[in-house]
Amino acid sequence: MPGSVHSQDAQDQSMMDVEQPQDELMLDERRILVLPGSSETAASFQFEGEGHTMGNALRFAIMKNPAVDFCGYTIPHPSDAKMHLRIQTSDSTTALEALEKGFNDLMDLCDVVTEKFTVARDQFNEENSNKMQS
Amino acid sequence: MAPLVPSQEELQRRRIIGVNAETVTNIPSTDFPGHWPGESHGWALDQFKNDFKVEYHRNDPYEASFSLIGLDAAVANAFRRILMAEIPTLAIETVYVHNNTSVIQDEVLAQRLGLIPLKGSVEGINWMQWEQKAPGDEGSAAPELTDFNTVVMQLDIECTQNPDVADDETDPRKLYNNAHVYSKHLTFTPVGRQEQFFVGDGAIRAVQPDILIAKMRPGQKIEMELHCVKGIGADHAKFSPVATASYRLLPDIQILRPIIGEDAKKFAKCFPKGVIGLEPVTSEEASRAGSGYEGHAGEQKAVVKDAFNDTVSRECLRHEEFQGKVKLGRVRDHFIFNVESSGQFESDTLFLESVKVLKLKCARWKRGLNDLMA
Amino acid sequence: MSREAYQVPSSVSGNQNAFSNDTGYGAMAIDSPSVVYLCGECSARVPVKKGDPIRCKDCGHRVLYKERTKRMVQFEAR
Repeated sequence: MPGSVHSQDAQDQSMMDVEQPQDELMLDERRILVLPGSSETAASFQFEGEGHTMGNALRFAIMKNPAVDFCGYTIPHPSDAKMHLRIQTSDSTTALEALEKGFNDLMDLCDVVTEKFTVARDQFNEENSNKMQS
Repeated sequence: MAPLVPSQEELQRRRIIGVNAETVTNIPSTDFPGHWPGESHGWALDQFKNDFKVEYHRNDPYEASFSLIGLDAAVANAFRRILMAEIPTLAIETVYVHNNTSVIQDEVLAQRLGLIPLKGSVEGINWMQWEQKAPGDEGSAAPELTDFNTVVMQLDIECTQNPDVADDETDPRKLYNNAHVYSKHLTFTPVGRQEQFFVGDGAIRAVQPDILIAKMRPGQKIEMELHCVKGIGADHAKFSPVATASYRLLPDIQILRPIIGEDAKKFAKCFPKGVIGLEPVTSEEASRAGSGYEGHAGEQKAVVKDAFNDTVSRECLRHEEFQGKVKLGRVRDHFIFNVESSGQFESDTLFLESVKVLKLKCARWKRGLNDLMA
Repeated sequence: MSREAYQVPSSVSGNQNAFSNDTGYGAMAIDSPSVVYLCGECSARVPVKKGDPIRCKDCGHRVLYKERTKRMVQFEAR
């Protein structure tokens, strides 16, 4: 463990130790729970430590899936940091698959936003520096 | 059967949220599968790539304004929320007071210090680790202090009499040395590998050098050690990297029937400057039967110049003479973002960071799914 | 902690009147530890021993304040 701040080699060791476990720690704390009463095509998931940020965005992404009959999210109590997500699908898929597709679609969306935003910003900066010069 | 494709006019109509004098109409998004019979609306990445547009309006280091067009409110709101609450920044977290004989109490001073925005090498700040306190274990042991989770700063300052000052001087800032303690008096000492990251321009310091921390008189002294850590705005507002991050929907004004002459001038006054313009009615318009301009050639008519700057105050809806002549609205999927950085990062990088955080959250939860699949 | 200068004066006998100028304690006061106070008027440092009058040596002011603790105090900046 990183006992001293000054010893250099002990440090590098600890960096490796710390970087990896941190992510695992996050996963450990934030686990998806399937609430009781679920079936293949209809399930409620509990996300710990999540709120409207992820809840609504995920609901949108999952609702965009044609195989999904219903998707909604709720935060059952404002003082519990818990978010419940309900997914009901047609027989062609499962609730779990729909959830995974939701994550994938949302990540694809993020890539497109980053790409287009960077292009628009660079273009704007270029035009503006041209204006400044002329 | 190929899915129905709605006409452009129909799609445009669906994009507008109606704003009436007392009510709003057409509020929820309807672009979901199953809402419109026969239409698809399923998620299609290529189509999103085609439709999604970004327009930049302003890009100053600490304030950026841009439009995201073709997004759903759920996603735009996620970006806004992440900007405010989930992008990690550095702030003073623990204050060790060795001496404080100023009139400002230790705990008040500590609270003030915490709110000072700090900047330093972005690379270095990204290198630093941060640990989110698990909910409910506030009392647990503090994590071990190392060079990658704690930045140490010093505030060591004493107020003294200034010997060479005119007798009739009354300004305490001239009468005494260090009568005012500012954020520029915070000093930073790199530890371990921080020496590689936080050197020269990259040194950790306050974003604004002139934040008043305390006032002192000769003989008074402040001596403290400040430990800064990375955290997120959801934990405490001092970690929030933005002063404001907000969006509004693009306003939409439709003049349904002609507004001419004195009415046009009055109509323009119902809106912020530059939103409504006045143009003369052309003879061609005046000669067209049923246009509403017959016999008004040369008179001034109201036209929508720039709806972007409208505040949608609905003032025009209060006047009898404009009843039924104008329709106010907002464009559902045109988000005009305004991001004002508090100085640690540049505004445009902050937005990119928020997109990254959303993606990272997805990836993290998705990995958690594997446990369920097994 | 090494910087800790303050020590609790050991009480020799009960119910002493700190305000009394009784010379009966005079002999004891010589080797008893002194505590530094700050004058409320001129901010001078005034060492006070057991039985000493509560009075600033420089200006004669009778209000003395305790010094701030030399211990380090920790606060959360929240």
